[in-house]
Amino acid sequence: MLKGAGAAGLAGLAGCTGGGGSDTLEVLHGWTGGDGADAADALFSAFEDEHSDIDFNENPIGGGGNENLDQTVANRLQGGNPPSSFAGWPGANLEQYGDAVGDIESEVWDEAGLKEAHVQEAVELCEYNDGFSAVPLGSHRLNDLFYNVGVLEDAGVDPESIDSADALIDALDAVESETDATPFAFSLAPWCILQTWAQTMLGEHGYEAYTNFIDGNGDEAAVRDTFEKLEQILGYINSDAASVDFTEVNQDIMSGDAAFIHQGNWAAGAYLSPDRDLTYGEDWDAIRYPGTEDYYTLHIDSFIYPSDNPTPEDTATWLQFVGSEEAQVAFNQYKGSIPTLTDVSTDEFNPYLTDTIDDFDNAAEKPPTLAHGLAVDTSTQADLEDVLNNNFADPYDVDGATSGFMDSV
Amino acid sequence: MKRFLLLLRSIRRTQGEGPESERTSGERRVMTDGGTSEKRSTFQRWLDSDIVQSAPFWLPPFLLMGFFVYAAIGWNFLLSLTEYSGFGDPDYSNLGLQNYWAMLDDPGMWAATRNTFVLLVGFTVVCLIVGLLLALLLDREIRFSRSFRTIYLLPFALSFIVTAQFWRWMYNVNNGIINQFIGVFGLGPYSWLGSPKLVLGAVIFALVWQFSGYTMIIYLAALRSIPNDQYEAARADGASTVRMYWRVIIPQLRPAMVSATVTLVLFALKAFDFLYATFDGYRPRRGADILATKMVRESFGRSEWAYGSSIALMLFVLSLGVITPYLYNQYKRGNL
Repeated sequence: MLKGAGAAGLAGLAGCTGGGGSDTLEVLHGWTGGDGADAADALFSAFEDEHSDIDFNENPIGGGGNENLDQTVANRLQGGNPPSSFAGWPGANLEQYGDAVGDIESEVWDEAGLKEAHVQEAVELCEYNDGFSAVPLGSHRLNDLFYNVGVLEDAGVDPESIDSADALIDALDAVESETDATPFAFSLAPWCILQTWAQTMLGEHGYEAYTNFIDGNGDEAAVRDTFEKLEQILGYINSDAASVDFTEVNQDIMSGDAAFIHQGNWAAGAYLSPDRDLTYGEDWDAIRYPGTEDYYTLHIDSFIYPSDNPTPEDTATWLQFVGSEEAQVAFNQYKGSIPTLTDVSTDEFNPYLTDTIDDFDNAAEKPPTLAHGLAVDTSTQADLEDVLNNNFADPYDVDGATSGFMDSV
Repeated sequence: MKRFLLLLRSIRRTQGEGPESERTSGERRVMTDGGTSEKRSTFQRWLDSDIVQSAPFWLPPFLLMGFFVYAAIGWNFLLSLTEYSGFGDPDYSNLGLQNYWAMLDDPGMWAATRNTFVLLVGFTVVCLIVGLLLALLLDREIRFSRSFRTIYLLPFALSFIVTAQFWRWMYNVNNGIINQFIGVFGLGPYSWLGSPKLVLGAVIFALVWQFSGYTMIIYLAALRSIPNDQYEAARADGASTVRMYWRVIIPQLRPAMVSATVTLVLFALKAFDFLYATFDGYRPRRGADILATKMVRESFGRSEWAYGSSIALMLFVLSLGVITPYLYNQYKRGNL
């Protein structure tokens, strides 16, 4: 009922604001603030430079960590009033859309030769229903463990020696006893617990155990062991973890009030901000999450193609552009992510992202992130987050969380 | 309203008097009791009936309410019988109660229902007590009572988004004012919004803070309508202040209490916005999930539209359970 009314309302609204209606290329995305907004500006002005003949209307919908964007997209697809294209995760995330997303294999992927230009994992994640429904825009790395260099020096911890969960726990212990800083800055938001659980699983039990779990053939002993390790690690977090979000605790890394934080590499955007006088390698640095040194845990932002498209030709032009080097360099250097293209010039990227691109090219495996739509469908991801919220968000119940995870996937 | 309608009708009557009396004069005939009768068609009588005459007043809101509220509720019920989820259109050909059975097997549903009831009862009872005490205090004509009244009512005027943010800061484990305060007495710090044991109590406390001023105003209005004679009579009979209030005044506040209770309970059933703002999304911490947040999460988070609809209907039935006895009571007293 709510949805129907919402869809009707939105359809009405879009009808009013659409202006030219079906002639205008309309692109929805969620980058409304900070580095995201800068990146979106760069992307759209690059598009304007290259295709000045195409009328377009970019429509940013912020708030709620993409909750509002996803809801608007859902309502418009449902109401038969799809935008030309919208930003979202590819991979299993596409499954929720059913037939509401269309195929652009020949118009975009073959036409622009994107299959050869992008890394194989990104290509596969955009495949859907025996065709292609999305084009990758950029990638964040999920298995970064950021740290404050000064705090680690005070604690006498050598970050390069941390290569397992046990080594991490020893390091956290050293920080706790030697300094006043929080050893492990953390937010107990379910998606944060999920992404750290996934990296712990990957680091302790390897790529195969991780993909087996995603495919629904998880080894119960491995899942349980991961929860046991994670429980120990979460023994070193800030006491207000239950009521803060990651941007707040990330401040503590910059101010030297915390030692480590595990986040996707969007967290580095704050460190690199010109308002902060912080230097990569001197004030802050990153290692791979312990045990995942050979991997690049893959997160992908993409643009998705709705079927029943109001502007099929212009949308194809737009999506070819999204997959091009111009678009990906323009966008990612500001977003703090990297292109999914295989061979790309690093001139425009800062030293941290240049290192990331280098790791991307040399990673043995690129496992998909579990907490960002690539590995499991929306509903499974919500189930996993519910299990964590109910069993593993302080207090920690290893048995309940393990059986919940085994039942969910 | 009624008087106005009668006036309207009498104007129409006088306007129609001339030609009508001419037309009907031939049909006028003597009745057995000696009076005369006017023979009017059924249609005309129907046109003249109260219900048709007043139609311009009640029909538009009736249709609007009927369509936007009751038809929507009906549609919602229909949706809850389908297996509608994800994208596409609902399939109405195969209806069943499977979503309601699924609720019984869903532990999250039980937890949300339990939390809803705890919130409902705890919030309403504490609010009524605090509001009554404040109202009695202000009724004693203490100094600055007007200023106090404003101060107590102020939280009610604030948006939930604002108060939720206040309480988020105040409940912060490390630097929140609540933990700072109880730290003076050597207690805490407690994770008010983090611990599953404390979180619902913390939410109830914040809501009581916001709503007790409203309850107070309702009580105060009722108190002011009690004649002074009764206070004086009670005094003259030698009643103490406590006894006077307990025996004479408070029993007369029953209607005020009933209407305040209904408002508070209905609010508590859908305390969604406060939780949404406090937890920055529709997944509250464990221990604070209520039916309203679960309903939105199932529908908009997972696109389980049919299941979300059935939770919505549960909420609707609960609301009806509260409002029906109240309406019936009012009807019996002739207030409706």
